Amino acid sequence: MTVAIEGVGTSGFGRQPDVDLVDLAFAAVDEAFRDAGGPRTVDAVWVGTVFGPAGVAQRVLRAMGLTGMPVLTVENACASGTTAFAEACEAVRTGRYGRVLALGIERMGDGAIVPEPTDPEGRTGLALPALYAMAAARWLHEGRTTLEQLAAVAVKNKANALANPRAPFGGRFTVAEVLASRPIADPLTLLQCCPTSDGAAAAIVGRGGSGGGGVRVRSVALRSGAPWNHRSREVWGHDLVRDTGAAAFAAAGLGPEDVDVAEVHDAFTIGELVTTAALGLKAPHIVNPSGGLLSRGHPLGATGLAQLAEIVWQLRGRAGGRQVGRARIGLVETMGGGVSVLDGNACVVAVLEAP
Amino acid sequence: MGAVSSVDPRPVVVAGPAGDGLVEGRRCTACAEPSAFTWPACPTCGGPVEPARFGPGGTVWSATVVRIPVADRTPPYALAYVDLDDGPRVLAHSAAPLPIGARVRLLAAAELKVERT
Ligand SMILES: [Zn+2]
Repeated sequence: MTVAIEGVGTSGFGRQPDVDLVDLAFAAVDEAFRDAGGPRTVDAVWVGTVFGPAGVAQRVLRAMGLTGMPVLTVENACASGTTAFAEACEAVRTGRYGRVLALGIERMGDGAIVPEPTDPEGRTGLALPALYAMAAARWLHEGRTTLEQLAAVAVKNKANALANPRAPFGGRFTVAEVLASRPIADPLTLLQCCPTSDGAAAAIVGRGGSGGGGVRVRSVALRSGAPWNHRSREVWGHDLVRDTGAAAFAAAGLGPEDVDVAEVHDAFTIGELVTTAALGLKAPHIVNPSGGLLSRGHPLGATGLAQLAEIVWQLRGRAGGRQVGRARIGLVETMGGGVSVLDGNACVVAVLEAP
Repeated sequence: MGAVSSVDPRPVVVAGPAGDGLVEGRRCTACAEPSAFTWPACPTCGGPVEPARFGPGGTVWSATVVRIPVADRTPPYALAYVDLDDGPRVLAHSAAPLPIGARVRLLAAAELKVERT
């Protein structure tokens, strides 16, 4: 069965401690329903969140009159929102439900995420910037990147964000300024790390309706990491992204050369470089036209659906000043999670086609 | 954020005969993969495991210096992924930053810690 994204929406992003999560969620869902048109009803809801308290999904949904239908909450680290989306797509594809809401929500604390103390490496002090720093240091050692190429990712994405009103952390920076910003975990500096952000993002997934205006979901793949250990030739996360991307491309009957625009997980500059390589994308200028996580900030559960919204707008040719040409095929990639000995907790890759 | 547990999830370090540190881990009896942890089965194949000790020698696979406060740790502090000889890759602290490829030895300390040899 054909699966289509009928509507997308997001809240604003950035630190918003004074805005109720109920209002952030409503902003995203209301925009998605208005975008989709038709009845403001769905058969089921999948909600992605990482730090949301127990019951948070029902709490935000009842405040907008979405009650009674099945509601499922999923946690898959940074890929929680795209996991909710993947499950929504699968529910529609298999005919289990006709129309499903995928919602990502997150309220973050201030500063870097405190590593999980029940995880060995979290307890050892390996904050997420340090995990990515390990990858960056290794790539520098292997001659696969330079400090300047790392910084150039931040320069590009933050400049892209100048045309994106939903990306509060954009700006015009030079490579030298990025490298001179405050060191976080060597070799990564502050401007190479995504800021924390609160926010919500949503997508209405269905069979495309009668109008034919929906963006078609060519494929969506979801995987968790295999062991990452002394046998791993690649840096953390690379193989998980590669394998999830390969599964998504195979299911879509397409390859990386077919992708016109992509939103990938640039939580840190090295993340974009590793991900782009792992997916086989060849043209950096089609990657993260929204400004990415580096400019949107990273409301964990909401991030994947915010990426998805950007690709939907791009494929409809409605991305304004940041429109990437006449994009026909778009890709969304989210990955994350620092569970020791695994190559990432989860990765989702979706391949989408313009209406 | 589950309930509080008194279990320390980090690898157990024991003193070796030469005063170095050894990781008290497991080796899979099915696929021979080493693990730095006392988990009940092999992370690679799910097979049964038996006690095994690894170290003290190893090689730095990657390294960083953390320059922000993390939990109760005071920055800066150096971390390295170290591939122990015929053993697992472990995350270890070091007093000084370590270059990739450096030979190190595990110290007999409560927390995994290495120094250059
Ligand atoms: Zn095994």
